[in-house]
Amino acid sequence: MSRRALQRRKARRKLNRPFELQLTSMLDVLVIILVFMLKSYQTSQNNLAVLPGLKLPISYSTSEPRDSLQVIITSEGITFEGKRLVDFQTPVASEDQSYQFSTKDLDDGGRRIVPLFDALVQVKQQTEMLRAKYPLKDSAGNTIGFDGIMAITADRRVPYDTLRKVLFTAGAAEFRVLRFIAQRRDY
Amino acid sequence: MLRRPSRRNRSGGSELVELNLVPMMDAFVTLIGFLLYTMAFLSFVATDSPVPTSSPTELAEKLKTEPLQLTLSINKSETLVWSAFKKIPSTSIPHLPDGSPDTKLIHEKLIEIKAQFPQEEQIVFAPSSATSYDSLVRLFDAAKILDPTDPPIFKAGSSGVEEPITYLFPQITFGNLLSSEDDS
Repeated sequence: MSRRALQRRKARRKLNRPFELQLTSMLDVLVIILVFMLKSYQTSQNNLAVLPGLKLPISYSTSEPRDSLQVIITSEGITFEGKRLVDFQTPVASEDQSYQFSTKDLDDGGRRIVPLFDALVQVKQQTEMLRAKYPLKDSAGNTIGFDGIMAITADRRVPYDTLRKVLFTAGAAEFRVLRFIAQRRDY
Repeated sequence: MLRRPSRRNRSGGSELVELNLVPMMDAFVTLIGFLLYTMAFLSFVATDSPVPTSSPTELAEKLKTEPLQLTLSINKSETLVWSAFKKIPSTSIPHLPDGSPDTKLIHEKLIEIKAQFPQEEQIVFAPSSATSYDSLVRLFDAAKILDPTDPPIFKAGSSGVEEPITYLFPQITFGNLLSSEDDS
């Protein structure tokens, strides 16, 4: 038998031998990852969403927002509960451009945003109807009515002029509390 | 008399017991997957602001005592800290060179006012149209949060004992919601 044939047979025998994977080191890695994740684990008590390209301001506040209806203001438009209601006329490309509403979207002297107002009123009526049908009670036995809380998630560049219109519209639709959302500062 | 050691015991004791790590690894991989799926990578914080309401009876009641009505007017070049009933002298704080409000100086001024009026909790914001949301959020923090490094302020508690306050002016409202034009 030639030398090469012998080497081939030896190699084949090596491959056929049952081999065991060394899992101990892999398990070590998994334990470290698991401990790290448990340490930095945090869940959210709300279903607040963000849209692509939205840059939130950073805040030192520690109060975590509870679940509520959400309005998102981006450089392109206004979204309420995942549905785009208003498109700004000139999409903002740079910081010095202003967020322009179409004239048909505003009324009440340019203070109220019509599509947003209609959506807010509709949600309010639906909630009140549901609460009348299936009354909710708190721990003290008092009936819980429509809470009227609206979370505002806005891009950091959004000017107060745009925000004011959203706030005025929420007030006109009888929302009582405005919740300004920001990103928690990491220490 | 010594006995000859058993051959059976010697051969049985030297065998290594291997732990079956595969099910444990399965459990760990499942746990890591679950944690990654349910983890919140972006954490939000909120500042609540009540929508101002105008009730004539409430207003009349309020005007009887003349509240501090601390107001922060954010103009194009400065921030004005003033009281509608002139309970404090008006202070103008110029913006930083980048055009944003000087939140550090504003915070220091508000601490000074809080030390004078420890029971006061409300502040009214009147920003100009061009004020960005980023500036507003930083002003919320400056008006609301009392840092651990800030000088301590005490107020009389319900039992009469003075207790340290944890917030500056937590009730933030907007004072110029009804105007549609920039009045700064």
